Amino acid sequence: MVSNYGQPPHASAGIDRMKLRIGVLGILVIVAFVALFSRLWFLQVLASEEYEELAQENRVRYVYSEPSRGRILDRHGKVLVRNRFSLSATINKQIVDEPRERRVVLRRLSKVLDVPVRDLRRRLDDVTVSPYKPVAVANDISENDATYLSIHQERFPGVATELLPVRHYPHRDTAAHVLGYVGEISPDELKQDHFKGARPSYGPGDLVGKEGVEYYYDRFLRGKPQIEKVIVNSSSDVVTTEIQQVEDPGLDLVLSLDLGIQKVTEKALLAGLRAARGADYAAPAGAVVVMDPTDGAVIAMASYPDYDPSILADGLTNKEYAFLGARTPDDPDDDALLNRAVQITRPPGSTFKVVTAGAALATGIAETYSRFECAGAAVYPPQGGSGSVTFHNWTSAYRGYIGFPESLEHSCNTFYYELGWRMEDAFGASNGDGSERFQKYARRAGLGHETGLDVRYEADGVVPDLAWLEDYCEGIESAGCDLGWLPGYTVNMSTGQGDMIVTPLQMAVTYGAIANGGHVMRPRLGWELTTPLDDGASASIRTFKRNVVTELPLEDAEIAAIRQGLQAVVTGSQGTAVSAFSGFPLDRFPIAGKTGTAQLDEATDKNDAWFISYGPVGQPRYVVAVLVQEAGHGGTSAAPIARQVWEGIFGVDNKTDVRLGVDASG
Amino acid sequence: MAMEGIFGEAVDRIGGEPISARMARRAPIRHLDPTLLVVTLLLSIYGVVMVQSATASNQSAAGLDPNAFFSRQAMFLLVGAIVLIGVSFVDYRFFAGFASVVYGATVGALILVLTPLGTLRSGATRWIDLGPMEVQPSEFAKVGVIVALAAYLALRKGDVRARDVAACVVLVAIPSGLIYVQPDLGSMMVFVALLGALLLSGGAKIRHFLFLGLCGFVGIVVVLQMGLLKDYQLQRLTSFLDPDPDVRSVGYNLTQSKIAIGSGGMRGKGLGGENTQTSLDYVPEQHTDFIFTAVGEQLGFLGSATLLAMFVFLLWRALRIAVMSRDLFGTLLASGIVGLWAFQIFVNVGMTMGIMPITGIPLPFISYGGSSLITNYIAVGLLLNIHMRRFL
Repeated sequence: MVSNYGQPPHASAGIDRMKLRIGVLGILVIVAFVALFSRLWFLQVLASEEYEELAQENRVRYVYSEPSRGRILDRHGKVLVRNRFSLSATINKQIVDEPRERRVVLRRLSKVLDVPVRDLRRRLDDVTVSPYKPVAVANDISENDATYLSIHQERFPGVATELLPVRHYPHRDTAAHVLGYVGEISPDELKQDHFKGARPSYGPGDLVGKEGVEYYYDRFLRGKPQIEKVIVNSSSDVVTTEIQQVEDPGLDLVLSLDLGIQKVTEKALLAGLRAARGADYAAPAGAVVVMDPTDGAVIAMASYPDYDPSILADGLTNKEYAFLGARTPDDPDDDALLNRAVQITRPPGSTFKVVTAGAALATGIAETYSRFECAGAAVYPPQGGSGSVTFHNWTSAYRGYIGFPESLEHSCNTFYYELGWRMEDAFGASNGDGSERFQKYARRAGLGHETGLDVRYEADGVVPDLAWLEDYCEGIESAGCDLGWLPGYTVNMSTGQGDMIVTPLQMAVTYGAIANGGHVMRPRLGWELTTPLDDGASASIRTFKRNVVTELPLEDAEIAAIRQGLQAVVTGSQGTAVSAFSGFPLDRFPIAGKTGTAQLDEATDKNDAWFISYGPVGQPRYVVAVLVQEAGHGGTSAAPIARQVWEGIFGVDNKTDVRLGVDASG
Repeated sequence: MAMEGIFGEAVDRIGGEPISARMARRAPIRHLDPTLLVVTLLLSIYGVVMVQSATASNQSAAGLDPNAFFSRQAMFLLVGAIVLIGVSFVDYRFFAGFASVVYGATVGALILVLTPLGTLRSGATRWIDLGPMEVQPSEFAKVGVIVALAAYLALRKGDVRARDVAACVVLVAIPSGLIYVQPDLGSMMVFVALLGALLLSGGAKIRHFLFLGLCGFVGIVVVLQMGLLKDYQLQRLTSFLDPDPDVRSVGYNLTQSKIAIGSGGMRGKGLGGENTQTSLDYVPEQHTDFIFTAVGEQLGFLGSATLLAMFVFLLWRALRIAVMSRDLFGTLLASGIVGLWAFQIFVNVGMTMGIMPITGIPLPFISYGGSSLITNYIAVGLLLNIHMRRFL
């Protein structure tokens, strides 16, 4: 083995040089490995948790399948709201994240679906929807279009078609305000107490009730989604799935509403508004409440203008939004979404006299047999300024001394001014002992605070008293505020004018208490929660009980005196609602009620018309409260609507439409 | 033999006979480096286990034999072992005489790949189909070029001039040029590393390195300016600096690889662990180029560091042999092999951890692939050979 290569390296003088060179190589190796070890230490020890999270994100997906939301039924089991599936085009914002790409996709989609780009964009940019879920930009697209989209997937990045459950309203706009609508929960709503503490808890992207009973009973209606933990591989193929939560469909909500009476009520309200407009009243809006005085169950609740909630069920288009959101943006009265039965407050006018009478009787200011003068005007001592103040009746006629029944029948203002004055003198904040027992009675009768109806929002109304005035005058420098509580305020309030404001539902509760013998009920729409069974029947999960808030402090005789007056309003010779009920079979279906005309503005002749009634008088089963805005006198515009509702309730055949009554009362 | 004189002073006190004479009388096998053999074996077993662990779940998911890769790699291991024995039995100096033949065969095989005999796979022709096995000549070329360069530089006896450096550059340029055409940028860079390692231990001067470095710099500028690199090559080389996690980009592999290694943590998720980045196929090429990610994820820092430590041990043995070698040829062979392994390990592991560019370089002894494994076994055979005959 001798060759040129056999020369040992050590033979030359370079023995150390050779070791040096190998040493350099060795050092390079060491440097390289130090780099590798430190990087390994960083990845696996220092940053390990962060990478484990990323790995989780990679492979674990939670798939939520929306549970079917419970239906909403009327008291006879008729379906008011159910679910249907809509073939919808969705866009995944995370895939189409570039504005330019988004524009192109929307334009192409608009062409295929024949929907304006503006509408698609509004849905896509809707801030109330979750950014993590695909957004449904168009509902109820045709199968042809869906097929086209899936075939030309490459031209529509991020676009998919899905069958999405949407709320379906078989009776369209019937009871729209009561039912409410659903939509994705907003960040603000997520913070509300109403949505807190639910199990499972609410999260972004959840579909929730936004208004009405959909909102109030959302926890029961929503059900529990099925949550599936899915492990996916790099191609997004599902490797394993594990059901973490089984789907639990929402419960059905049975309302106390009676679909038949609801329809009659809505029809009567609309007809009444039309009739009032025909008589040159503005009559832009109105509301009717039909309530069972024995248990507070709301049987019908109508509000006009109304809307078809199905257009809210799948998001609004620009046009629909413009329609709903105030045609005249400065005027909140024009809002179709407002439930006027509980969400607007107006002066009750003479319908409040029932409360004044009750307060006077309860406080001992008057007895059932008491008589007071019914003059054309009453003069009271100076109110802050110089000179005395004159309060007028609606008529200048002098009727002499009359009792409670007549005072209600005629709707005599001066009679009630006197009661108001006397109560102010005894309990008022300025003249009396300051106990304000008149106001306390009014609150007890259900005014000035929420009735507790099971909807999203209810207006409080106002029963003016010293505390309210001080609150109102807080920070206001005016001569009026400096004077404090004036007796005239109480006088004015006694006929339901001035700062006294109520909702139609509050008036229904107040009259319900007169009708049922003094029980102030908590009104309610929810009747029962049920779950559908396989055989088509349903099992009751929970029934909502009758709830008496308080009792009116009135003797039976006192209630009887008031009732007598209310009946005379409809039947008496001087009754303000007599003309509206002419021809109505009062012998078979005796009705009692009270008209009201609330002055909105002393200068003009703008009045809100009220009529609150109950019947049948012997054994009242219904209270019907009607408010028509800017429509003249109660007996003229409101009572005829109530009449038609009563005809519907009792099945009285009536081919005629609403005809205005004759009423000159205040 | 002439050796006696050189070690004449070293005398065995008991036998009164020069050590070298006594050593030389014994068969070379008596001077075997058993630790090198053991670490080679341990690395190979580690590799076979990892290949199994990285492929089994995807194979079964696809309804294929979960042990397919395992059994083939085991077979390659067997072939490698036989080749190792063959290589270590023939005196390594014998190869020096045939250096030109080895070099010629290497270049020939690389040319053959480019002819219609070469197999095109995923956009590159790197293989020749030999029936039971597809051979990747660029792997064998690595050892071929080491032998050729070592033989050439050994003749210079440590006195390397500019002319010799130029000759070496040409010797390396021909095979790397052929590999570049395949295209296989990663393997090409291995040859550059080999050239560096051999010139370093072969006796090149500092000025030679400076000049070569300058040429390399100019060369890179020219290549970039003239657009000789394809876009995807450039992207792969640079994406590690700022990886884009988008699935469609080249940075995706890297992002997923880092996630896999990082999520392994200290102890790892266990061999063949379910629902891991590896078993769910998030890291592409996880049994070949990216096998270190499977190591990192399944065996954690403890397992990965152990693997790296085994590599350090292997390289230490090789460096030791380079120093102990009887002659310059042996020293050069050993240091070339050190350069080969060290560069491949550093670039491959560095790539999976995001500190080196993405290149198609296998991890010695661990990555799946016959040609690579057998080539590394030839290298081990040569090292054992040099060690056994260090007195001969």
